[in-house]
Order: sequence, then C-alpha cells, then structure tokens
Amino acid sequence: MSDTVIRVENVSKIYGAGDASTAALTNVNLTVERGAWLAIMGPSGHGKSTLLQIMGGLDRPTAGCVHLDGTELTALAPNALARARAEEIGFVFQFFNLLPHLTALENIQMALWFGGSESNAGKKRALALLDAVGLTGKAHFFPSMLSGGQQQRVAIARALANEPGVLLMDEPSGNLDSASEAELLQLLKRLHTEGKTIVMVTHNAAVATHAQRVVRVKDGRIEEAANAD
Amino acid sequence: MNLSKLVWRNLLRRRGRFVFTLAGVAIGMAAFVSLMTIGQGLTREIRKQAQGLGANLVVTPKGWCAYEQISVLTGEQLPEAIPMAELDKIGRVPGVKSAIPYLNEKTAFRNQPVPVIGIWPQEMRTLQKWGVESGRYFSAPDERAVVVGFAIAKQFKLKPGDEFTVRGKPLSVIGVLRETGTKDDIATFIPLPVAQNIYAVEGKVSFIAVQVTDLEQVDAVSLRIQEAANVAVVTDKQLLSSILSIVGTVGNAMQAVAAVGVLAAAFGIVNTLLTAVYERRREIGIMQAIGSTRRTLFLSFMFESGLYGLLGGLLGMAIGMLAAWLFGPYLTNNAFTASLPQTSVPMLDSGTALMTVGLSIGLALVAGLYPAYRAAKLSPMEAIHHV
Repeated sequence: MSDTVIRVENVSKIYGAGDASTAALTNVNLTVERGAWLAIMGPSGHGKSTLLQIMGGLDRPTAGCVHLDGTELTALAPNALARARAEEIGFVFQFFNLLPHLTALENIQMALWFGGSESNAGKKRALALLDAVGLTGKAHFFPSMLSGGQQQRVAIARALANEPGVLLMDEPSGNLDSASEAELLQLLKRLHTEGKTIVMVTHNAAVATHAQRVVRVKDGRIEEAANAD
Repeated sequence: MNLSKLVWRNLLRRRGRFVFTLAGVAIGMAAFVSLMTIGQGLTREIRKQAQGLGANLVVTPKGWCAYEQISVLTGEQLPEAIPMAELDKIGRVPGVKSAIPYLNEKTAFRNQPVPVIGIWPQEMRTLQKWGVESGRYFSAPDERAVVVGFAIAKQFKLKPGDEFTVRGKPLSVIGVLRETGTKDDIATFIPLPVAQNIYAVEGKVSFIAVQVTDLEQVDAVSLRIQEAANVAVVTDKQLLSSILSIVGTVGNAMQAVAAVGVLAAAFGIVNTLLTAVYERRREIGIMQAIGSTRRTLFLSFMFESGLYGLLGGLLGMAIGMLAAWLFGPYLTNNAFTASLPQTSVPMLDSGTALMTVGLSIGLALVAGLYPAYRAAKLSPMEAIHHV
C-alpha cells in the first residue's frame, strides 16, 4: 500500500518580524507514503527540526498547510491538534525528554492517559511496551537511573503508546553511544517492518542509510531527494 | 496515571517549597481561625453572662458609659450611685416583679483583686437558683459572713470556716457556691447591708436588676421606671447588643489583620506556582508534544493550587484551634474579658469550619488562575526549547 500519510504543501516558516525576521523554511513541499522510512538530513540550523515539528503539529507554519491522513493539521483547533498528537503521532526527541519525576512506566502511562486509556488497561499496555523495547524489569526506574539508550527506548515506547501510524524522530541517536545506536536502529527496523511510518531527522549519514528515502534540507528548502539505496 | 497522581508527584518534587508554601497558607488560615474561635468563644461567654444576670432590665445611674454597663455583666467594681430610696420607688412601679440591688466592690485578698458583691441573700438565691457546694448559705439578710464562688474557692483553696478579709475586715467563709459557669464563680458575696457598712456607702447601690411580670411590657416598664426614679434603664437585649458591638468591632479589626495573613498566603501560592510554571516549561512542552490538551495543563495547576488550599485550610484550622486554646486567654486578657471564665476549649462550629476550608480552597483556586493560565498558554515549541 503506498498512499500518502503526510503531505506538506508550500510550507514556509518565518521567525520574528520586519528586519529581524528569519525564514526557517521556504515553500517546502514533501509527501511521505504510509509505511515509509524517511530520513531528513542537512546542516544544523537549516530547518530540519522546524519541518519535523510542523509535520507533527507542534508548530504552525507561517504559510502553507500540512495534511496528516487526509486531515489538515494546520487548520485544527488546539484541542483537536493535541488529540492528533496523542493518537496519531509519536514523537521521539534527541534528549529523550522523559519527565524526570515519573518512572519509566509512568512516562508511558502518561501518554496513554492523554490518549484516553483507562488506568488499569494503561498499566498493562505500558508494561507490554516496556517488554517490547527490551526494558522488562525497569518499569519503576526513574529516567536518572537509566542509561541514555534505555531512556531513548522508554521514549520510543512512550511514542508507541497509543499505536500511532507515524513516528517523528528528531536526532534519535544523537545522544547515544554506538552500541545503543545499533540497538535503536534494530528497534526502528522492527517497527518499520511492522508497518510504522518513520520520519527521522538526523545528522548521521550512517543512520540515514537505514531509511528508504533521504531528503536534504538546506537554507529552509528541500534541496534534493534520494533513495538511501 | 491520572491528574491527581501527576499533581501529587509535582507537589512533592520540591518538598521544601511545598512545605513552606503550605506553612504560609496554614499560618494565614490559622490566624483567621484562631481569631474567629476566640471571637466566637467570647461572644458565647458574653451571652452566657447576660443570661446569668437573670434580669430583663438593668437600672443604672444616669450617664453611665458603655464600659460601666459592660461591668454589670462582669462583676467589676462599679460606682455606688443609686440611693436605696430609688430602689423602693422602682419596686413599686407596676409591672416590676422584682428589683434586686447589687453593690459591686473589690477587695485585695492575698495580694490579688477579688470582686466582692453586696446582695440581698434570699432574693439572689431565688433569682440565680444557686446551689451550695459546701458549707451553708446565709441564714439572715445581714449576716456578717461571706459565701464564695466556686472558682474563687478553688483558686484560694477556701473552705467553710476559713477567714476572708474584706477591706481589712475579717469575715468567716460560711459556704462555697456550686459551679455556675458565669461570673458568679469568680466573685465573693456578702449581704448588702454588711457590704454597705464595710465600704462606707450606706444607702447606696451600684445597679439594680429588674424582672418584669410580662415580657411584652419590658419597654413600657422601662419608661415607667425612668419616670418614677432618677435613673437610666437598659434592657438586657440592649446591654447585650452594646457589649457585642464593642467586642464585634475588636473582632472585626482582628479578622482584618488575619485577612492580610490569608492574602499574603494566597500570593505565596501565586509565587510558588509561577515559579513551578517557569521551572516546568520544558515538561509542559513535552506533555503537549505527547498529547496533553491545554485544559489538562490548566487543570493540573488549578488542582495543585486547590490542594494547597485544602491542606493549608485543614492544617490551619487545627493549628488555629490549638492556638486559640493555648493563647486565647492571653490574647483576650483585659479588664472585661479577664473576668470571664475561660475554662472551656473554644470550638469552631461546623459551619465556620466548612467556611474556613472553603475560603482557603477558594482563595487558593483564585491564586492558581494566573499561573494555570500561563501554563496552558505556552506553545509546545516555546516550552520544549526552554532549557
């Protein structure tokens, strides 16, 4: 099946106003097919993360629109957008972004709560997700008690909590050692095989080779698009 | 995971700040509660004393000030300004059931001031329904002896047969009255003629307590007394309301001071929560990224604020009642209140207790509005990028 899950149309993003304004993205068009693994590469500060955030409804474009599964994300009211983030998109960040005062289990349960899960069902699902990312027995560990790789796996489990179709990842291996990075890529391969759509911002060309498709963002524009292989 | 669990975890993250903010709310509410409790206890005591007087009308000399009127209830020393001749006139006024004179004096006993009240023994016993704890009551209207109130007997360890000196004149204690819970417990009583003789005020009394035959006619009898004798008359209700208005004014001033404390506590909550919003900006962004609505964020801060109000209110109520019990007698210690018995533990009635906790929660919620709004208005990216 090769239908489009994300469509970015003529998206521009300008920060500031007047002389102090900076264009982060200029007239960007991009489509992501369902089940694809897309890597977005490019130099720092050229708009990769901004593009990812706009694709995920975390930020709004100055112009243009983003469609997610046929719904225009950019036209949604804040609450509907929050619901879309809870149910249809899973975010993974470079710095893991787990809540430090909650255990691994509770971090995942929180995402399930936002997705509307009942408390008991949520706990079972959260434990199952921890098993799935290889963290059985770490449920009651706080983030500070886990290694970087383990924290990233908790973050991925959290992103998968509400079974979203799309995973958006901002430098997921950027803060990991090579062993943890290898484990992460194994996990992503598995998720991709299971049918997840993955959009990943990365600096790391070696990581990007695992993606089916690579696009480069430079000076706020999609400069080139190529298949990884 | 749910809202209450999240809020509780957030509260306990900064335990020191949680404890100090809670202490601020609790102390503010404690001040409010203790002053309310003391005020209510005082009002209750005043009402009890007014009932204990047993009179419908109080006849006083013309021109008495409010303080002197209050002293009628407390048994304080009063000027002896009503001639006995006026008493006879009042007794003959139609509608007067009884007119009982009081001569309120003081003596020093073992270097402490003790109220000495000159009374008509039989009439007073009928009016006040006094019982005798030990010894006996006066057997003649001019017996040179003293009957002491329950608390005075306890304080000075007096028992029948002991000697009690009134203005240097030794008198024998013949009996101790049963506890009444009124000012009678903290006074000593001697027959009026004996008192007038010792204090050299023959033919004069301090005030007269009048009972009327028909309660509907109180005002009419009051007018008739003023026509018949050269005196002023107040009804028991007027007396009570004039005392309560004085106590009420003082009470209001005290509560205004307490309100400042409560307000300061509310601003403490605002400060704590604003700091929390600032500290948790990044987490707020993360929560938004994984699907939290603005409503959830708003509610989590409101819940946190409400919890400060609830816990602070309950804690404040407990501390306030304890403070009222421990310090109430000292705080209210003045010429008037000192003479009121302060033996019972002041208790908040359930209505006031509910109002206190409600006020605490309400104020905390109002205090939480702005920080909660600030948290809910953060944009996810602005929040996530905050380090």
